[in-house]
Amino acid sequence: MSSAVELEKDKLAVARDMLGSLVDRRVLTALEVCVRCGICTESCHYYQSNPKTQHTPYYRAEMVRRLYRRFFDPMGRAFPQWVGIKETKDELLTKLSNIAFSSCTLCQRCTFACPFGVETAEIMRVMRSIATATGYAPEMLVELANLAITKEESADMFRDLYMEQIKDLEKEVQDHLGNSKARIPVDEKGARILYVPLAGAHTIVPEAILFNSVGASWTLGMFEASNYAVFLADRQKEKQIANRIIKEAEKIGAEEIIITECGHAYFAMRWEVPKWFGRLLPFKVRSILEVLDEYLSAGKLHLDSSKNTQLTTYHDSCNLGRKGGVFDEPRRLIKASVKDFVEMTPNRLGSYCCGAGSGLVAVPEFADIRMQAGHHKAEQIRQTGAGFVVTSCDNCLHQIRELNEHYGLNIESSNVSQLVVKALK
Amino acid sequence: MSVLQTVAAGIVLVGAVIFIIGVIAVLVAAQRRPYPSELAPVKSSPALGVVYAFTLGMAPWAKESARLHWVAYIRGIVIHIGIFIAAAFLIASPWLAQMAWPLRLSLAALFGVAAVLGVAGFGIRLGDPAMRLLSTLDDYFSLALVTLFLAAGAIAAAIPGFLSAFWIISGITLAYAPFGKIKHFIFFVYERVIIGRFFGRRGVLEWTHE
Repeated sequence: MSSAVELEKDKLAVARDMLGSLVDRRVLTALEVCVRCGICTESCHYYQSNPKTQHTPYYRAEMVRRLYRRFFDPMGRAFPQWVGIKETKDELLTKLSNIAFSSCTLCQRCTFACPFGVETAEIMRVMRSIATATGYAPEMLVELANLAITKEESADMFRDLYMEQIKDLEKEVQDHLGNSKARIPVDEKGARILYVPLAGAHTIVPEAILFNSVGASWTLGMFEASNYAVFLADRQKEKQIANRIIKEAEKIGAEEIIITECGHAYFAMRWEVPKWFGRLLPFKVRSILEVLDEYLSAGKLHLDSSKNTQLTTYHDSCNLGRKGGVFDEPRRLIKASVKDFVEMTPNRLGSYCCGAGSGLVAVPEFADIRMQAGHHKAEQIRQTGAGFVVTSCDNCLHQIRELNEHYGLNIESSNVSQLVVKALK
Repeated sequence: MSVLQTVAAGIVLVGAVIFIIGVIAVLVAAQRRPYPSELAPVKSSPALGVVYAFTLGMAPWAKESARLHWVAYIRGIVIHIGIFIAAAFLIASPWLAQMAWPLRLSLAALFGVAAVLGVAGFGIRLGDPAMRLLSTLDDYFSLALVTLFLAAGAIAAAIPGFLSAFWIISGITLAYAPFGKIKHFIFFVYERVIIGRFFGRRGVLEWTHE
C-alpha cells in the first residue's frame, strides 16, 4: 500500500473516530431530524447572494450527514446507497472541510427558519473539528491560534513594549477628556473590572474614555479577546487561549470580565467557556455593550444625540445577538447617541450575517467568497438609506468597511463605543 | 375474523412491536450520547424557551420560511395532522363497525387529502433540482410508505372491507419507522427541547426583548 493511500486511510480513521466522539446528543439530533424539505433555503445569506444548491443550509449539512451515516447509522452501514452515501475518500474530506470553513459562517439563521430547528451550525462545527484534526483547516487560522498561545508563553517579552504603547494611548485619552489624571491601568490588582480588548487602539481608547468618564474601577488586560481556535473548533487550543484571560482575572482578583466589541470572543467567554472547563467561572462575564447600557440607564453616561446627525443603522453581530441575546443594549446606546436611527429589515433574530463570520475575515483566500456572501447585507444597508452603520463586532466592522468599498455604499461606520464617545456631552 | 384479517392483524402487531422496540433503541442510543451541561449563568429562562419552541416559535408568523414556503408549510401541517389521526384511527380500527358513518367519511376525506399531498411530495422532491440532488432512496421510500398508509386509511375508513390492507401497510410502515427518515418524529421533540433550552437561557428569543 502506498504511503499516500495509507495517509488517506488514516485521515478517514481520524474522521470516523472524531465523529464518534464529537457527536453529542445535540449534534446527533441535528443530524437525524432533517427531512430535506428545503424550507431553509432562502434563510442563508450565501444563498441570497448567490442562489445555488451548494449554498443551501441543507446541502451543507447533508454532506456531513452522509459521512456520519456511512460510519454510524445502521442503515448506512448495511446499505450505503440507501442513505445517499458516495465513496468516502480524500476528496470528500477536502470538500467537507471547504464547506465547513468557507461556505458557512455558523450564524444559525437557518435554525430559526427550519420547522424543526435543525442546528446546521453545530454540524459544521463538528466538521471544522475534523478538518482541523486532519490538516484541512485554513493555515491562517491555525497560525493565528498558535500565535495567541505563543504570546502567553512569552508574555514577559512583549510586556514592556505593550506598556509603552498603552502610555501613548493614555495620553490620547487624557487629551480627549481634558483630564491629566485619566488612566489606562494595565493588569492592576484590585480592579473590579478586567477589560479585555482586541489588538488595536480602536478597542482600547474609546472604552478607556468611557470608563474614566464614569469613574469605573477597571484595568486593561494583557491579552486580546480573540480566540481563533473557536473558528477551528479545536477544543484544546480554545481552552488554552481562554485560560490566559481567566488566569489574568484570577490574578488581579477581578469581579467581572468585560469583553470588548467582538462577537466570537463574547460568545466564547460568556457562554461556552464554563462548558469547556466544566466549572462556573468565579467572576461575571459581560459585553462592554451591557456595561455601557447599564451606565446609561444609571445616568452615569451623559450623551447628546444631536452630535451625530447622520441617519444611522445597526448591524446585529450573530454571535452577540442570535447566539448571545444582546439585541437591546446596543440599540439603546445608539438611540441615545444619534439623532435618527433606522432598522435594517430583517433585524435582531432575523438579521443576516455580514458574510465575514466564524473566521472568514481572517483568511485571505476567502476574500472573494466573503464579498459575494456579503452582497445581501450590502443591499440591506443600502435599502435603509443610512449614511452611518454601527456594529458591535470587529469582524463585522471590517467586513462592512470592505463591503462599502466593494459595493460603493458610500457609508461611514464604527463600533458602538466609538459612536458613544462621539456623543459624550 | 377472516384468515386475511387474522394475518393482517398479525402483521400490524409485529410491526407495532418492532416499532416500539425500535423507538426505544433510538431513544436509548440518543440518551447514551453525552449532553454537555450549559454552565454559564442564565440570562433568561430555559424552561420558557422550551415552551416558546413548542408554541409561538413554531407559528407561521414567527418564521420567514413559512411565509416564503406557505404551500409547503400548509402541506406539511395537513400531512402530519393526517398521520397522527390515522395512527389513532389504526388503534381504533378494530371497532370500525361501531364508528358513525359521518365520522368515517370525515376521516376518509382527511386521510385522502393528506395522501394526495403525500403524492405531491414526490413532485416537489423530483421537480426541484436541489431537492432531487439531495434526496436519498430512504426519502422516497419513507414518503411512499406514509402516502400508502394515509391512502389505505382513507379507503378503509370509507370501505371497511379494505381494513386488512390498511393493517398490512400500517404494519410495514410501523416496522420501518424507527430505522429510516420517519424517525425524525422522535428527534423533533429532542430538537425543540434542545433549541428551546439553549436559546431560552441566552435570552435570545423574541419574548425577552423590547
